[in-house]
Amino acid sequence: MVNDGGQLYTMEGVAAGLIMLLTAYIVISTTSIYTPGDTHIPDMQLEQLGSDVLAMMDTPNAKDDDKSDLERFIADNNSDGFRAAFLDYCNMTAGDTDDLHMSASVTYRSGDSVGEYQFVGADNTWTGRESAVRVTRWVQLSERPAVLPGVSIENRSQAVLVEVLLWRA
Amino acid sequence: MACMNEDGQWIVLMGLLVAVGLFFLALIINQSVLVGQTTAEGVLEFPKNDIRDLREAVFDYVDTFGGANNLTTGAVRQDIVAISLERKNAVVNFSVESQVEVSGHYLHPVTIHYYNGVTEYNENVYY
Repeated sequence: MVNDGGQLYTMEGVAAGLIMLLTAYIVISTTSIYTPGDTHIPDMQLEQLGSDVLAMMDTPNAKDDDKSDLERFIADNNSDGFRAAFLDYCNMTAGDTDDLHMSASVTYRSGDSVGEYQFVGADNTWTGRESAVRVTRWVQLSERPAVLPGVSIENRSQAVLVEVLLWRA
Repeated sequence: MACMNEDGQWIVLMGLLVAVGLFFLALIINQSVLVGQTTAEGVLEFPKNDIRDLREAVFDYVDTFGGANNLTTGAVRQDIVAISLERKNAVVNFSVESQVEVSGHYLHPVTIHYYNGVTEYNENVYY
């Protein structure tokens, strides 16, 4: 007859082995925990990038230059120029270019109402489900901006708000 | 049951201790899911860029109009107040006084107020 007296030791050994494996796994996995806080970091970085780009575009190129590029783009309604410059600055990285996309609108006041017109339309990557971030910049104009017909803006010195939606496709 | 061998009770007790230990480790792992939640929310909630934006707008305004107070400047001020309320859900106001001498420089005293219901920001600055 086979003696089964050693079976208890075998089971204890297996149990101890499992406990040690589990402990090692827990200890190692605690060094990197993906928390909800981490998911917001790309959004925060994108927002900072967009703000920086707008701030840079709103800086005149030379000391005796009275207008910034951003002011010129808005005043002349040069949406293609704005889109090209903005995306150029955004997508510039040390290696391959990034894949950021944008749309932009301008908010103005007319009398007691506040209106808005689309400055740069979204391109065909826009599905409506992107986690886009919004960056804004105030622009002061000395007269009404040249805009498409149908948008009535008073002709006076004014402050308008440029809002850019920025997303990674 | 007088003759029963009780040597195995130590093993059972050790098993219980290890189980309790694992339970506490699981609790700690469970708590770690919430790490950074309030921090991230706080960072996202704080309107850093909105306040910077407003300051830039006010300084642009001072660059253009100085301490002048007339129909033109009133309209620009009203633009900033109305659009802030509409698009940024923030009550803002600012005032610019005429220049005073500060340590040999002539600067405008500027007050800026910003309140979006959560964050309140007030600033007095010479620009």
